[in-house]
Amino acid sequence: MTQLILRRLATSVLILLAVSLLVFIATLLLPGDPAQAILGQQATPERLAALREQMHLNDPVWQRYLSWLGGLAVGNFGMSAASGGAVTALLGERIGASLVLLLAAAVISIPLGLLLGSYSALRKGRAGDHITTGASLVLAALPEFVIGISLITVFSTTIFPILPSVTMAPPGEAVWNYPSQLVLPTFTLVLMVTPYIARMMRATMLEVLDSGYVEMARLKGVPEGQVILRHALPHALSPVAQVIAIQLAWMAGGVVVVEFLFRYPGIGQALVDAVANRDVQVVQTLSILIAAVYIVVNLLADVVGILTNPKLRTGGAR
Amino acid sequence: MGLSGGGAADSLDAHSPVSTTDIARVLNLYEGLLYRDENYKLQPLLATRATPSPDAKVWTVDLRTDVKFHDGRRMTGRDVAATFKRITDPKSPKTGASSLAILDKVVVLDDFKVEFRLNTPTATFDDSLGQYSLGIVPEDYDPARPIGTGPFKYSSFSPGRSSLFVRNHKYWRNNEPYLDELEILNFNDNDALINALLSTQVDAIGQIPLALLEVIDADPRISILNSETGMWMPFSMRVDRPPFNDNRVRQAFRLVVDREQMIEQVLSGNGRVGNDLYSPFDPGFASHLPQRVQNIQKAKELLAQAGYPNGLSVELVTAPIQAGAVEAAQVFAEQAAAAGIKVKLRKVDTTTFFGDGYLTWDFAQSFWYSRNFLPQVNNSSLTTSPFNETHWNHPEFARLVAKANVTVDAKERNKLISQAQEIEYNEGGYIIWGHPNQADAYQQYVAGLVPSRTGLALSGFEFRRVWLGETK
Amino acid sequence: MSVIDAPRLVEPEAKVRKGTFHRFIRQRQAKIGIALTAAVVLLALLGPLLLPWATGYTSTEFAGRPFKPEGLLGTDNLGRDVLTRFLDGGLRLLLFAGLATLLGMVIGGLCGMVAAYRGGWVDSAIMRTNDILLALPQLVFALLAITVLGPQPWVLVAVIGITHAPRIARVTRAATLAVVTEDFIRASEMYAVPKWKIVVQDVLPNITGPLMVELGLRMTYSIGALASLSFLGLGMQPPTADWGLMINENRIALAVQPWGVILPVLAIAVLTVGTNLITDSLARASASLNVGESK
Repeated sequence: MTQLILRRLATSVLILLAVSLLVFIATLLLPGDPAQAILGQQATPERLAALREQMHLNDPVWQRYLSWLGGLAVGNFGMSAASGGAVTALLGERIGASLVLLLAAAVISIPLGLLLGSYSALRKGRAGDHITTGASLVLAALPEFVIGISLITVFSTTIFPILPSVTMAPPGEAVWNYPSQLVLPTFTLVLMVTPYIARMMRATMLEVLDSGYVEMARLKGVPEGQVILRHALPHALSPVAQVIAIQLAWMAGGVVVVEFLFRYPGIGQALVDAVANRDVQVVQTLSILIAAVYIVVNLLADVVGILTNPKLRTGGAR
Repeated sequence: MGLSGGGAADSLDAHSPVSTTDIARVLNLYEGLLYRDENYKLQPLLATRATPSPDAKVWTVDLRTDVKFHDGRRMTGRDVAATFKRITDPKSPKTGASSLAILDKVVVLDDFKVEFRLNTPTATFDDSLGQYSLGIVPEDYDPARPIGTGPFKYSSFSPGRSSLFVRNHKYWRNNEPYLDELEILNFNDNDALINALLSTQVDAIGQIPLALLEVIDADPRISILNSETGMWMPFSMRVDRPPFNDNRVRQAFRLVVDREQMIEQVLSGNGRVGNDLYSPFDPGFASHLPQRVQNIQKAKELLAQAGYPNGLSVELVTAPIQAGAVEAAQVFAEQAAAAGIKVKLRKVDTTTFFGDGYLTWDFAQSFWYSRNFLPQVNNSSLTTSPFNETHWNHPEFARLVAKANVTVDAKERNKLISQAQEIEYNEGGYIIWGHPNQADAYQQYVAGLVPSRTGLALSGFEFRRVWLGETK
Repeated sequence: MSVIDAPRLVEPEAKVRKGTFHRFIRQRQAKIGIALTAAVVLLALLGPLLLPWATGYTSTEFAGRPFKPEGLLGTDNLGRDVLTRFLDGGLRLLLFAGLATLLGMVIGGLCGMVAAYRGGWVDSAIMRTNDILLALPQLVFALLAITVLGPQPWVLVAVIGITHAPRIARVTRAATLAVVTEDFIRASEMYAVPKWKIVVQDVLPNITGPLMVELGLRMTYSIGALASLSFLGLGMQPPTADWGLMINENRIALAVQPWGVILPVLAIAVLTVGTNLITDSLARASASLNVGESK
């Protein structure tokens, strides 16, 4: 089993390297010269040459890739073409802000999803189940911005204008000092993620409720509440854990649209701005960062899966 | 005060303001010798007067004697000389350097009198001195310790986010400034900017989207500052490349524009119609030329004469270089269709627009702030100009401009300017459809802001005049 | 691993498909989904034909000042008629989403089948490439491509199709694996039937169930992804009339003139919900055929 996890870990590292290569090559294809882009109107031949030297643009490609990679490892992400400053400085606080948002969404949506899923399973076929299943089916279909704009329309412009629709901490202050501004973006993410967790929870819960040991417990006369809490729930959790992990990984990408919509000062908005400005260095860095989160969370999901799934413990399939 | 724009590259350097917030900060920390007031008139600031020699090669500037830097030292001619030396340092030229290429050196005559010696006679050198990027700083200036003579003193600064300034108690104007503290916040988004005002997180905001002006004005707590300006957002046609190397095509393009509609759709009615001429506030402005209006028939005829009887197809390069730019391109495309001109929009990002391709686009857009004619020409309409977007190269025009540059007599000079403008009116490569207004918004309790023609937000950022009425 | 309890006989496809279809259409959910989808598709198809007959405007014409209540549903950021723009804005979204999905299905389906059928190093190579592509979230991948290539329509279609491919390949491979071990495939192989023929005649018909589900799912995601990119201002470019772009352009006036935002939001919502209901019904219909929920 340890061997299996180690192999999985190695694969993840290899994939991350391959992704970094992909991202690096993609940006090589860009027309124009990053030094020119940074200097813009103030470019003089001498300053260009100096900056090219400073950015190691004259080195062979493989060397540039390696030094870029080395920079990534130690947190030196190069220079932003749009601002002329270090990418690290640009992103530092934004990473924190995004993590706050993701964390808040996760803390709410995981229990909520588990609860709704179990509720739905226990009421299988009844009105409560239909409503939950139907709602989750509808929500799962909607793109992030559709949910977000609907929330804004309802809660901040027309019907109940009670919540701010943009995040706007005065510069220099942290976003979490203004919790009311966090509500709508968090809620949007929660609505995006919960349906998947609830659906998976419902499915596994149904399977578990049908299984022999639950039947047995019931026959032994254990009260229904205890049957569910003690016997059914723990068994249903492990497959759901993987879905949760996948959803968390998904949020790392989905947060882009949500942040843009709510003007949330996180990495997602930075990414959109950087793409709009063709700020290659920032796009590179953020793609890699998001990919890394994605890979790590998926890795964790697999590890959880390996640890909890007795069939996989033997290292048989996939 | 909330302002949009600005980023991590923001600085406090007196001589390198780039973003809007940079300009706002620089104007409150530092002061130049002269400045443009809200009517776009040149007024003395740290100087009391600037007089040219008869041949316009030497300008003598008298300084105020009562001005102190933030650290209490008196400002003298030596500081002025050092300031200009810093700006024109060939190793690291600052923003204002390009318009000071004519400056040979600054000679200190005494503590409060300096002489600007020029290598080329320039009758409007005082105009150059009125730029906001020429704040006077002490001899030992260091941007890390931003000391000037402005109404506010530096307290703290975080690039791309905010800066806090406090009242300069030793300010030379009596009683001013009225505010004890000035905080300038960066916003990178209009929604956030407006929301900050509506939720009274800030007292005033600069540059609101014109389309939302009426809505914001409807809020009883908010006042609007709607200022006419000399800013212009032209389309630029390269006069040396087909199809625009044929003046008939250029004139046809100018005739297809419905200027009133342009202002309605792009600026929601908040602007003044343009007459394909820049510098509307210049005393020499050619106001006698008839207002050009849409004439599709005439445009079609001109195109037919130029060899395009069935219309033609052009690519217009557009980018969000300024609010309304991409919108203007769309409106133009729609209007031009009536004359058989098929305009294909090519939208690029701002970085690309001002990147390698800038100054090579055949047909594109641009944006300029209010400037008088001669400085504007120096920037954009001579073969030696750094930003000759239309590749304008007209010997007669250049001759008139050169002559105006050395003509000290204002009346004579204005006549020359008017003549030069007529040439552009008849043959130029810019389509100048209008001059957008500058709209700002502020809380009712903020007093002292007046409309400003400079194109800079919030009374040209002259926060020294502002005070707060009773709150709530 | 749940081995799919596939049909045993050589010739059961027709019957199976008919059965699946019946199970599919019998569901109320499927009917609702088809109705919703059809409504939006019809609107998008017929919309351009309705103008300017229905609204009096073409979609680039100016109807008044920006964000004013003129006309039926007011004007947009440039003073164009919102209803006109809306009627004209759906077709491209549908078309591009369809193309992207198709591209993804072709690439992903082929790769998946080839990987499963050939096995060995081909399988490994394809699946490892998949893993790499899957490590970047779809939207981030799209943004990266747009940074490099610019937001041209073909880039949008290609990048969304390509990001779908590995996900489709995974499903196709699993489905194909279950089929290729069946006796009738072995039989065909023994008769030296060309491999491409086996794939087309024997494999493909037997994996239509999962492929159809995948098609519906990817269509839903394609619509969402395209609309999202346009919403971010990085998809369709002005002056194109497009639902996603409309939302981007008119968002600033949501409080004043909400129709320019709400109409396209509603249309996209109804459409994606519709396709998702169809997909879910399809999945149920073919899942009751295959044992267990395949994942």
